[in-house]
Amino acid sequence: MTEFDSLMQGMSLIMTPGHIGLMVIGVLLGILVGVLPGLGAPNGVALLLPLTFTMSPVSAIILLSCMYWGALFGGSITSILFNIPGEPSSVATTFDGYPMARQGKAAEALTAAFTSALLGALVGVLLLTFLSSRIAAFAMEFSSPEFFAVYLLAFCTFIGMSKNPPLKTVVSMMIGFAMAAIGMDTVSGDLRLTFDQPWLLSGMSFEVAVIGLFGIGEILCTVEEGLVFRGEHVKITPMVILRTWKKMPRYWLTWLRSTLVGCWMGITPGGPTAASFMSYSLARRFSKNRENFGKGELEGVIAPETADHSAGTSALLPMLTLGIPGSATAAVMLGGLMIWGLHPGPTLFTEQHDFVWGLIASMYLGNVVSLIVVLATVPLFASILRIPFSIIAPIIIMVCAIGAYSVHNSMFDVGMMLVFGALGYLFKKLGYPIAPLVLAAVLGDKAEDAFRQSMLFSNGELGIFWSNPLVGGLTTAALLMLFWPLIARGIKALGNLKGARVQRAAP
Amino acid sequence: MSTSTSALVGTRWVELGLALFTAALGGVVMYGSASSGIGWDDAGPQAGYFPFYIGLLMSAASLTTVLITFLQWRRLSEAFVSREAFNRVLKVFVPIVLFVASMPLIGLYLASAGFIAWFMWRDRQRPQPYGWMTIVAVAGGAALASYLIFALWFKVPLDAGPLGDLAALARRMLK
Repeated sequence: MTEFDSLMQGMSLIMTPGHIGLMVIGVLLGILVGVLPGLGAPNGVALLLPLTFTMSPVSAIILLSCMYWGALFGGSITSILFNIPGEPSSVATTFDGYPMARQGKAAEALTAAFTSALLGALVGVLLLTFLSSRIAAFAMEFSSPEFFAVYLLAFCTFIGMSKNPPLKTVVSMMIGFAMAAIGMDTVSGDLRLTFDQPWLLSGMSFEVAVIGLFGIGEILCTVEEGLVFRGEHVKITPMVILRTWKKMPRYWLTWLRSTLVGCWMGITPGGPTAASFMSYSLARRFSKNRENFGKGELEGVIAPETADHSAGTSALLPMLTLGIPGSATAAVMLGGLMIWGLHPGPTLFTEQHDFVWGLIASMYLGNVVSLIVVLATVPLFASILRIPFSIIAPIIIMVCAIGAYSVHNSMFDVGMMLVFGALGYLFKKLGYPIAPLVLAAVLGDKAEDAFRQSMLFSNGELGIFWSNPLVGGLTTAALLMLFWPLIARGIKALGNLKGARVQRAAP
Repeated sequence: MSTSTSALVGTRWVELGLALFTAALGGVVMYGSASSGIGWDDAGPQAGYFPFYIGLLMSAASLTTVLITFLQWRRLSEAFVSREAFNRVLKVFVPIVLFVASMPLIGLYLASAGFIAWFMWRDRQRPQPYGWMTIVAVAGGAALASYLIFALWFKVPLDAGPLGDLAALARRMLK
């Protein structure tokens, strides 16, 4: 069956009033969590997860993924109108979006942001449509060592490419792994790391960690900075939309470049945040209006938004085909997939054909629905941010507490959320990244299984990770990524040395 | 952690404290893994085989952070947080702790309504303080909405009012 046929099949599956209704709900909730401080896409999805247990997996993933798209759109609203990024990935949008809003061009900036976001997302989905079955078929050949090497590559890329100190990334990641290890050992069935404490028997759920780290931690940081929401007002009329759309084609090169950056960073675990920053700085470097960047340049809004969304959507490609999420939100969704009893990875494409293609089809439709919904509701959501903090903050905290409670109906989890909240505050202030912790907490068991299986095959010889060209290449690439900061420094030093020599030889 | 009342703490002390905490956490993980066995048996690697190295890496990375903190001791002398800002954080964090602590006692709904009401009541320095009608409406409305959405619509039962909750708690304690 060709991709096109599968896609059509998926389309027919999701084109029901119920599913389209779920899309609209998901998008609205997503914009809401994207707009509110302290709630973002990762913990929005984590909060919603317990509510999806009674749904069919297709409906559940439509709800969650549409929430993701909505949150990505919502993040740009606060960036442009309030100069407050609702999501880390929309920080770069504030650089030019807010100055535009100050000049009274908020509607133009928002239209450009949403439209380029949609175009970026659609390229990501196209990539997913035509590449995913191939990658999945290729990954069918993988056995445990290959899978572990892929996990290793993902984790090492996080350490080597992160702008946070590598040691802190390692610590954060190891906390996630340790969390995943608590409770029953999936291979032997033994209990471990429970220290005879009954509340540790069932293990620690990553949802609670996500809600605490991202939700409570974020609120504490917001309070400390003493943020006041003073935003620009906006009214989006069809005239402004059409006028902005007429202007946009001239930025096609920026758009193309940002899409490429976004897709690349989304597939490799660079994530949307890195993608949007990179795309912004590239746009500035190559732009004719370089000096206008930072003062309200339309191109400075288009570039980060396109990259942010194409990274957000293409992050689902490695998640579905290999079981490796490219962003924190994708990690939470992957956790959801496992809770629903699905096995992310290449077998998903053969065993859960309807689920996969329903999801991919819903991504086309969901992003278009998002654009329409977000354009229509910007004033409404902007007014939500004008509700005083002393009302909105306790409600957000209540929602977080209920969300943490509903994971296992346990008060202990609410307490854990608090601990993770305090940890999240300290982490953020001291430059520890949070995403690796979430990724490791979700993937920990699978990575461990792959590692132990490999060790069983080889009788404890690490050489198995170089036993054939594929696994050897992956492992070597992982190590290169891990030591990339050192390697880059070495290359630079060599370059300087050579330069100095040439200079000395010249006169 | 930094919930102590001594404000104006230097970044280096917090950095050091957190790194020592994670180093100790790594130690706990290693200890726990060691007691489940970190070697091999007939079935292959034992349960503690993998987590042991996780703990080891955690401790090693944390201790290196401790070392780096000492090396950069002077550079890290700036305040972690100003006294004023930390007060703001505590003013939110302490109520959250009380809110969470009261949840098992009086149930999610009452605790939430009380928490929101207290937050709004405290914000009196605003030009127009909230009237008690507004406070009751918002706090009660939020609790009611969470009941409607979670318990009724999505069928996720929440720990309800004081009586039902106390009974459940008593049953759990008897077990």
